[in-house]
Amino acid sequence: MLGVLIEKELKSILQSPKFVATFGVCSLLILLSVFIGINEYRASVAQYETATNWVDQQIAEATTFENLPTRVYRQPSPMQIFVSGVNYDIGRLSQISIEQDVKLEQSAYSDDPIFAVFRYIDFTFIVQVVLSLFAIVFTYDAINGERESGTLKLVLSNPIARGQYLLAKLVGSWLGLTIPLLIPILIGLLLVIAFGVPMTETDWLKLVTLIGVSVLYFTFFIALSLLVSALTRQSAVSFLFLLVVWITLVLIVPRGAVMAAGQLVEVPTVAEIESQKDRYRADAQGDLRATSNLRFQEMMAPAQGFGEAERRAFYTANIDLYTEETNRLRAEMEVVIEQNNRRVNENLRNAKAEQERLAFLLSRVSPASAFKLTAMNLGGTNTSMKNRYEDQMLAYRETYNSYIETRWQQEQEEQEQLLASQRAGGGRNVNVAGSGNQAIDTSDMPRFVASEESIVEVFLASILDFGLLTIFTLIAFAGAFFAFVRYDVR
Amino acid sequence: MFKIILDKELREIIGTTKFAVTFGVCAVLILLAFYVGARNYQISVQEYDASVTENMRQMEGVTDWANIDHRIFLPPQPLAALVSGVSNDIGRTVNMDVRGELRPEGSRFAEDPIFAVFRFLDLEFIFAIVLSLFAILFGYDAINGEKERGTLSLSFANSVPRDKYILGKIIGSFLALIIPLMIPILIGCLMLPLLGVPMNADSWLRLAMVILTGTMYFAVFLTLSVFISTLTQRSSTSFLVLVVAWVFAVLIIPRSSVLAAGRMVDVPSVDEVDFEKGKYSAQLFDERMNAMQAWTQANYQSDHRLMMEGMQAFRSEQQALVDEKMGIFVEQLNQERDNKADLRTGVALSLARISPTASFSLAASDLAFTSMDLRASFVDAASAYQQEFADFMRSKNADFGGDVFVGHGAPVVVEEPDPIDTRELPLFAYEPPPASEAINESLPDLGLLFMFNAFFFAGAFVRFNRYDVR
Repeated sequence: MLGVLIEKELKSILQSPKFVATFGVCSLLILLSVFIGINEYRASVAQYETATNWVDQQIAEATTFENLPTRVYRQPSPMQIFVSGVNYDIGRLSQISIEQDVKLEQSAYSDDPIFAVFRYIDFTFIVQVVLSLFAIVFTYDAINGERESGTLKLVLSNPIARGQYLLAKLVGSWLGLTIPLLIPILIGLLLVIAFGVPMTETDWLKLVTLIGVSVLYFTFFIALSLLVSALTRQSAVSFLFLLVVWITLVLIVPRGAVMAAGQLVEVPTVAEIESQKDRYRADAQGDLRATSNLRFQEMMAPAQGFGEAERRAFYTANIDLYTEETNRLRAEMEVVIEQNNRRVNENLRNAKAEQERLAFLLSRVSPASAFKLTAMNLGGTNTSMKNRYEDQMLAYRETYNSYIETRWQQEQEEQEQLLASQRAGGGRNVNVAGSGNQAIDTSDMPRFVASEESIVEVFLASILDFGLLTIFTLIAFAGAFFAFVRYDVR
Repeated sequence: MFKIILDKELREIIGTTKFAVTFGVCAVLILLAFYVGARNYQISVQEYDASVTENMRQMEGVTDWANIDHRIFLPPQPLAALVSGVSNDIGRTVNMDVRGELRPEGSRFAEDPIFAVFRFLDLEFIFAIVLSLFAILFGYDAINGEKERGTLSLSFANSVPRDKYILGKIIGSFLALIIPLMIPILIGCLMLPLLGVPMNADSWLRLAMVILTGTMYFAVFLTLSVFISTLTQRSSTSFLVLVVAWVFAVLIIPRSSVLAAGRMVDVPSVDEVDFEKGKYSAQLFDERMNAMQAWTQANYQSDHRLMMEGMQAFRSEQQALVDEKMGIFVEQLNQERDNKADLRTGVALSLARISPTASFSLAASDLAFTSMDLRASFVDAASAYQQEFADFMRSKNADFGGDVFVGHGAPVVVEEPDPIDTRELPLFAYEPPPASEAINESLPDLGLLFMFNAFFFAGAFVRFNRYDVR
């Protein structure tokens, strides 16, 4: 009996003109989103390669290691094709230098605001917004529509358990809607391969999981529509109700939750933080200047009353010691400044993390949020993307800075030797620092390589949302069952 | 007769549960948007004040004007809370320097990506997405629904002129839906000053225009729904068609057209341009260093102080030359890129305007001054201020801040000077352009919305004249 019912359900769906139209539209949109995603990815990769080549070229043309600053860029990842998340909102690069702190700047949207006007369209967007609507449009009259057309009492006049009937409805609708949608999804995957997008094994795993979550999300809306259909007598009413619920869950709750959290938890602005750091640095530098001036005066004190030439001789004899000490003091100062920067950043991050926790907790009332959040986790474009990259860049900065320091020392020693030999050779050449005209050797320079999140971490983070979606779906279906058991089929 | 039809339409709509529910939802959302908008504005103002204060504070106690770090900030716009546009995507901070290019950094979304995940619930969003659905919900069965219920043939059993009927239908539905919606909108408007949002005549005018545009946009979907209703026999068909049209118009076309245009028009990336500038700047630096070296070799003298003075003078000269050359080069590069970017924007937005939703969004953000023009306006204001700032710094002999000049000689010993008086620093004041300019910008989109309305209205009119009412 169950088989017959499922078959009936499948047939009535697949053969309706409604299905052809909406399935056509959904397939088109899925393929469009994947196609656009692939194009955007390739454009990002081209931009990334141009930028990193330029940086390499600049370094190759540099003539001194003194304060050699560089930049590092975020490398585009193929999963961004499917889940753009905050990828275009956060900065693409960071300056790397001794003086500046690491900070992601120049996001894609701030560089080219035209793309921010309407933003991006990706697979996750299509699933979250369009497919959920599709599910509602098909299942809103699953029960009450049959009642209205008189077929419900006809079917139930046969010896069929109500639970069985509902199960058949669920399975039939699910098969009839989900299986056909796998076709454009598979074509989309083929597109990814055909365009030569470099997906690693981990990427494929994440993508398959994303598709799985999408199916689960879609199933929730089928179950929800069944529930509402079994709670109302007229299909027009269930549709209206479902539309309101859809607007609330997909459009309102996620935004509302984040905005509420934004108002409930206070976070200092980045401008405040930057100014705090600047002030600390300014104070420290002022202190250093005062101290080194003092030292210089102390050093030159015995030379009071000397003549010009004697003064110069005294100066030359003692300058090295003075310079050494000043350098030591400066290094200490940098360490202290660095510690302060870390501390200030840490405070900001903690405040933001708290705000985020509250926001996402509140928003998870809606399965649409749960879906989007887990999709962003899988795509690596969630809100911790910024912190992740900044941390890695920070680690790189340490390696890079110590490399630069070491090579700069070497260069200075070499210059000293050169100067000494020049002086010995006579002449009154005044050298301006760093005027060497040969390119420096940077073949052993450390390079920035971003490491991927561990797949285990990603999946662990997604378990919560996966579980939430499953619970939502089970509750909806259980509700539908109980509602249908008491449904007046006449 | 016309009045009777109108009356009937009004009653048919307003008395129903459908209307009560959807009106309730829309009213709640509209009020929510106004309330949250006002609160957001207050928070933005607090943040702005904190940034400005901290900026001043960190300069206190500094003893040399050359060593300050000065930043200017974009003040929040009152209407940005209601129509966010791209205001959260552009940088709000500019690091002020005596020379060189200015680039806004630190957009709201870049600094707080949490808001970028789901973004904001603003009035524009509610109009664009919720009200258009609302319109479809009431208009989809305007004609074919009546036919299905049998009331259409009944009505025409009387001597009812067709044109009056369709006119009455459309205008009746429009009034029945829009007038109630004005209630939460007006309440929302009243909330704004009560919640501390400073609205002057300029802002009120803009807001009124935004609401007018929203009303026209709503009408587009209403006339479209009635039009589709006259094209189909069954209301379920027209509903499906309208939902598909809605998905495309509201969600798909605007985004896709921008992305398509983005790939059609080739614009050099910001990085490429930056690197060209960096290269040229390095070249100029080398040239200047060589010039300095040549000068010191030619003009060496034993009196160190005289030599330093001469060197400073020569250096200032050289710097001025470099500034000029760099300025011209940067201007040229920027102009080239801007031209291409403008072309891209033009193509993108023209394509997007196939959808009335795009026209509405663009008009609304023009009126609220949260369109891309905001960035350009901010940069212009910052550049103008830079002149003022540079003059001020020059008067304090601080226009070489940060440029380390290393020479061979004893470091100059200074006594501890007095800290600077930060109140001497000229303040940055940003004024948005007047409402009349914004209204001019939005006129083409308003015109487009009007044309959509006219087209669908005419379509419904013509089709209904030949509609089979049995």
